[in-house]
Amino acid sequence: MFLYSGKSIIILLTSLILIGLIFSPIFLSSKEILADNLPTSVTVSITGPICGNGIREVGEQCDGGDLGGQTCVSLGYVSGTLSCYAAGMPNECTFNVSGCSAGGGGGGGGGYVPPPTVTKVIIQGKAYPEAEITLLEDGKVLTTKKADPLANFKIEITDITAGVWTFSIWAEDKEGRRSITFSFTANVTKNMTTTVSGIFLPPTIELSKVNLQKGETLNIFGQTAPESEVSISVESPEIVKKTEATKKGDWDYSLDTSPLDEGSHTTRAKAASPEGLLSSYSKVLGFYIGEGAPGVICPNADLNGDGKVNLVDFSILLYWWGKDDPCSDQNGNRRVDLPDFSIMMYYWTG
Amino acid sequence: MKNYSSKFKNTIILLIIGFALFPAITFAAILYLEPSSGEYQPGDTFIVEMKIDTEGECINTIEANLSFSQDILKAVDFSQGQSIIILWVKSPEINQESGLISFAGGIPGGYCGRIPGEPGVTNLLGKIIFRIPGMIVGELMEGSAEVKILDTSEVLLNDGLGTRAKLATQEAAFEILSKLEPSKDEWFQELKEDTIPPEPFEIEIHQESAIFEGKYFITFSTTDKQTGLDYYEVKEGERDWKEMGSPYLLEDQGLKSIIKVKAVDKAGNERIAEYIPEIPKRPFPYWIIILVLMGAGVIWWIIRKFKYGKK
Repeated sequence: MFLYSGKSIIILLTSLILIGLIFSPIFLSSKEILADNLPTSVTVSITGPICGNGIREVGEQCDGGDLGGQTCVSLGYVSGTLSCYAAGMPNECTFNVSGCSAGGGGGGGGGYVPPPTVTKVIIQGKAYPEAEITLLEDGKVLTTKKADPLANFKIEITDITAGVWTFSIWAEDKEGRRSITFSFTANVTKNMTTTVSGIFLPPTIELSKVNLQKGETLNIFGQTAPESEVSISVESPEIVKKTEATKKGDWDYSLDTSPLDEGSHTTRAKAASPEGLLSSYSKVLGFYIGEGAPGVICPNADLNGDGKVNLVDFSILLYWWGKDDPCSDQNGNRRVDLPDFSIMMYYWTG
Repeated sequence: MKNYSSKFKNTIILLIIGFALFPAITFAAILYLEPSSGEYQPGDTFIVEMKIDTEGECINTIEANLSFSQDILKAVDFSQGQSIIILWVKSPEINQESGLISFAGGIPGGYCGRIPGEPGVTNLLGKIIFRIPGMIVGELMEGSAEVKILDTSEVLLNDGLGTRAKLATQEAAFEILSKLEPSKDEWFQELKEDTIPPEPFEIEIHQESAIFEGKYFITFSTTDKQTGLDYYEVKEGERDWKEMGSPYLLEDQGLKSIIKVKAVDKAGNERIAEYIPEIPKRPFPYWIIILVLMGAGVIWWIIRKFKYGKK
C-alpha cells in the first residue's frame, strides 16, 4: 500500500539513487578499469543495392523502371514489354519476362548475363606512419599492408563468405615495436559492402628500463599517428600523464618514479588523433622499482618463443591443459586453464 | 510510534529492493538465451540461441555450462555456425542423461560488443537444437521445460591478465502443449538451406620440443558460416580417414605421405585441405650423359674399326 503514496515513491527513488552511488564502486570493480573498451570512434556501415529506389545498382538486374537498357528483344524474345519485379517480391529487382512473347517457336531467352555481385569488406583507419599492418580473419593472417606517412590505412577484402567474421589488426611501427591486437566482429552481408571505419590502433609502447631504483627517471616511449595526444597511465596508484606525438608519430614521456612505491608497477597508453579518433589502451608493460624483480617465463603467451602467438602456441596450451607447465601457466596458478587461454587470446598475432 | 516503525520498515524493504536491483544494472557481462520462452508441442524441433551482452566490456574467453529438463527436452545438436567464438578449447558437449551442455572457447584479440551501426547479430555464442519427443506410449506429453545457464559459467576479460568478469545469467522456460498441429523443425530448414562448405584452410606441419616428445604434428582450423562445423577427419597417405582434431600427431614421422584434412559442416558439406610433402631435389644425373657419350664413342670406334678392318 505504501508503494502508491507520494512520500513512499520519493523514499524509493532516493534510496535507489543512494544505494547506486554508494555501491556502484563495489560492483564496478577494478576489472573495468583494466579492460580495454572498444574505441568509440569505430563504426560500421553497410552499403549495397537498395531494391525499390528506382536506380539499378550492382547486384540488381533492374530497379523499377530502370531496366538497364534491356528489352524483351534484347533478352532473346520476339516482342512484348519487359518489366521488373518490385521490392518485397520473391524475385525482387530481377527481370519479369511474363510480358514478353517468344513468338512462333523462336525466341528462348536466357542470353542475358546479370551484373556480377560482390560481397566486400573495407577496413580503414589509422596506425603509425608507414607501419606494417597485419590483418587477421577469424584469427588467421589474411594480408599485410603498409600505412601511409600520415598513418592512414585502408584494406579491402573481396571473395568473402557472408556471415559473422572476427577481424583483427595489429601493426609494427618503424622501430619494430608491435601494437596490441585490436579485434572487432562484423556480420558481413551478402552482395553488400561492409565498411568498418574509425579504427585507431593503440600506440606502441616501450620502456627504457624494467628494473630501476626509486627516484630514477623512466622513459616511456613509442609511436602513434602524427600529432596525436597520448595519455600515459601508470598503476598503482594510478597516475595519468599526457604528451603529444611529433609529426613523425613518435612520442615519449620521462616519468619521475619518486612518487611510486617499491615493487611492481604497470603502464599503458592510449591516444586521440587530431581528427578526433580515439584508440583503446596499448599493451600493458610492467616495471619494478627496487631490488629483485621476478623473472618471466614465456612472456606474452609466446609459448614456443618464435615471436608469434598463433595456432602452434594454442596447440602447446591444449597439450598442457589441466596440467602444470611453467611456460603455458601464464598466470602462475600451477594449472593450465581458462585464464591462461584468455592471456593467449589477448596476445594473439596469428 | 507505530507510524515511525512502519516508515522504518518500509525503508528497510526499499533498501532490500535497491540491493536486489543494482547488481543487475552494474554486471559486466550477461549470458542469455533466445527465445527465453515459447510454446511447442511434442514432435517439434526448435533452436535456442545462446548470446552474450558484454555491456561495453571487452572479453575474450567464455566457458558456458547449461542444464536443461532432460525428461522433456532432447538436446540433439549444437551449432557453432555464426558464433563469435573462433577457437574452441572445449568443444560443445551434450550429456542427455544428466541434462548438461558445456563448451569453452575464445576470440583472438577479444570481443567488445556490437560496433555502432552494425545491423546484424554479432553476439551469438552457439545454437542448441532441442527436440521434444513425440507421444510416449500413446499419451501426449505436456508440461514445462527449463534451460538454465549454470553459475559455473565464466567470462574472462580481454585484459592480458585472465581476469574473470562479473557475470549475470538469464534462463529460459518453454511450455509443452498438445496442439495437435503439424510438428515444426527449425533445424531441418537451416540444414536444407546450407549448401556452402566450410571456409578454406591450410595444414601446417610443426615440431616443438615442448609437446609430443618433439615429434611432428599438424595444426589446422576453420569455420563454417552457416550451420557450423561438425567434425574434422585426417588421412595420411593410403591410411583410412580418422575423425581427429588439431593438433594431430602424425603417424608418418618420415613426412613422406600426403596429408589430407577434411572439414565437414552440420549439413554435410565438405572442404578438404591437402599437404603434399616436398620431395627433396636430386642433383642432375650428369653421369648418364657421360655414359651415353662414352657408349656412343665405343660404338663409333667399333664401327670405324670394323669398316677399316674389312678394307
